[in-house]
Amino acid sequence: MQLASKSYDIDSISAVQELYHSSGWTDGLPIVPPTADAVQACLEWAMMPPDQLIGIEPVRGLAITAEKLAINAVMAGCLPMHFPVVVTAWTAMMQDEFLMHGATASTGGCAVLVVLNGPIRLELGASGTFNALGNSDRATAVIGRAIRLCLINLMDVRPGVIDRSTLGHPGKFSYCLAEDEEDSSWLPLAEQRGVPKGASSVTVMAAGAPRQLMNEWTTRPEEILETFAAEMRANLRHYSIHPGNYALIVPKQLREHLQAAGWTKTDIAAFIHERARIHRREWADVGKGAVVRDRGDSVYPAMESPDQLLVIAAGGPAGGFGAVIPPWLGNKSHAVTLPIGACIDCEPPKK
Amino acid sequence: MTFRVLDPTTEKAPPAGRLAPRLDTLEGKTIGFISNGKEGTKGFFRHLDQMLREEHGVARVVSRTKSNYSAPADKHIVDEIRSWDAVVSGLGD
Repeated sequence: MQLASKSYDIDSISAVQELYHSSGWTDGLPIVPPTADAVQACLEWAMMPPDQLIGIEPVRGLAITAEKLAINAVMAGCLPMHFPVVVTAWTAMMQDEFLMHGATASTGGCAVLVVLNGPIRLELGASGTFNALGNSDRATAVIGRAIRLCLINLMDVRPGVIDRSTLGHPGKFSYCLAEDEEDSSWLPLAEQRGVPKGASSVTVMAAGAPRQLMNEWTTRPEEILETFAAEMRANLRHYSIHPGNYALIVPKQLREHLQAAGWTKTDIAAFIHERARIHRREWADVGKGAVVRDRGDSVYPAMESPDQLLVIAAGGPAGGFGAVIPPWLGNKSHAVTLPIGACIDCEPPKK
Repeated sequence: MTFRVLDPTTEKAPPAGRLAPRLDTLEGKTIGFISNGKEGTKGFFRHLDQMLREEHGVARVVSRTKSNYSAPADKHIVDEIRSWDAVVSGLGD
C-alpha cells in the first residue's frame, strides 16, 4: 500500500512531539506518532485504499482522503478498529445539512458530538455508563479526539484561523459517547432515527456544552421531564432562540421511573416539545430586552417538531443527573445519523 | 530510534479564488452589499450606503441578505453579483 503523504525522519519521540506541536498539528496534547505501518493498519482494517475520497468539503473545496483521516486518527490514539467510526462520522459531517464549515468556524464555539449505537459499541468497549460524557473509556476518548484533529489538520480549524470560537468548550478535545442500549428498554437513538435494528451507526450533532441538571425528588415522569424542559427554556433565554436538534442525556436512575410508567422516547419528545418553549418577552428578564421589540407575545419552541429531540440513554447506575445538550445554532445545522460501512453514494440519484 | 512520521495536513492549499479587477473610481458605479443578516449589520450597511452615495458618487447600492448567516450566499444572490461593479461582503459579526 503506497501512501502519498510527505514523511519526516525524526530522531526521538520528544522531537516528534515538538515537530507536531510547533507545526500547529495538535490539540495541545501529545500525539501518537503516525507511522506508515500504523496508518496502513487503519486503512486495511476499513478496507480502504489511501486515496479513497471521503468527500470534498463544500465551502473551500478541500478533498478529504482516507489516508489523511487515518493519519489523524492514529495521532489521536485510535487503533485500526476505531477507524471505521471516524470515517463514518466524517462522512456524516460532510453532508450538506450538517453545515460543517459554519459549525466549525462560528464564534458560537460548538463541538461535534458523536453518538455511537449498535454492536460496535461492545466491540470497541465504548461505555455508556459511568462518566458517560467524560473520560468513560478509551474508544470514545480517541474517536472524539480524532474528529477534532482531522478538523484542525484537514480544514485549518485552528483557533484564530478557521475556528473563530469566542469561548469553545471542553468537548472540543473529544465529545463522543455510546448509548447504554443494554440497560434500557428504549429504542436506540439510531433506530429512532431510521437506521435498521442491529446496525452499528454514528450520529453527529453540532453541539454546545452539556448543561447538567438534577432531580432525585420525584418518580413522576412529568416532573422529571419538566426539569429537562426548564433547562432547555433557560438555554432559549440565555443563549439562542433558534429551534433545532437538542439532545437529552437520561441516566439510569431517571430512565427507570420513565420506563416504569411506560414512557417511550416518542412520548418524551412530545412532552418536551410542548414544555420547552418561551415567550420572546422573557428575554427582557435576562438582560436582552433590547431585542424583544413588539414581538413579546411570540412563542419560540426549542424544536420545530418532536422528532428533532435526540433522547440518549447514558450515565452511571446511580444519580438523578441528566443533561441537556443544546444545538450550536438551531436549524442552521442538522444532526446526521449514518450506519457504519454503508455506502451513501452508491445508489442512483433520487428523482 | 528514528521515527518516520507522516504529514497530517492536506498538503494542498484550497483552490484559490481570484480577485475581481479593482475599480478606478466608485463614481457612477453599482455596489452590492451581501449582509449575513446579523443585528449589527443593519446600522453598518445603512451608514456605508450613505457614505458611498454622498461622498463617493456611487450611483446605486443593492442590498441583499443571506438566508443563513453561517452558510455561503444563496445562489440567487451569487448569480446577481455579475450585474454589480463591486461587492461588499464578509462583514457584520
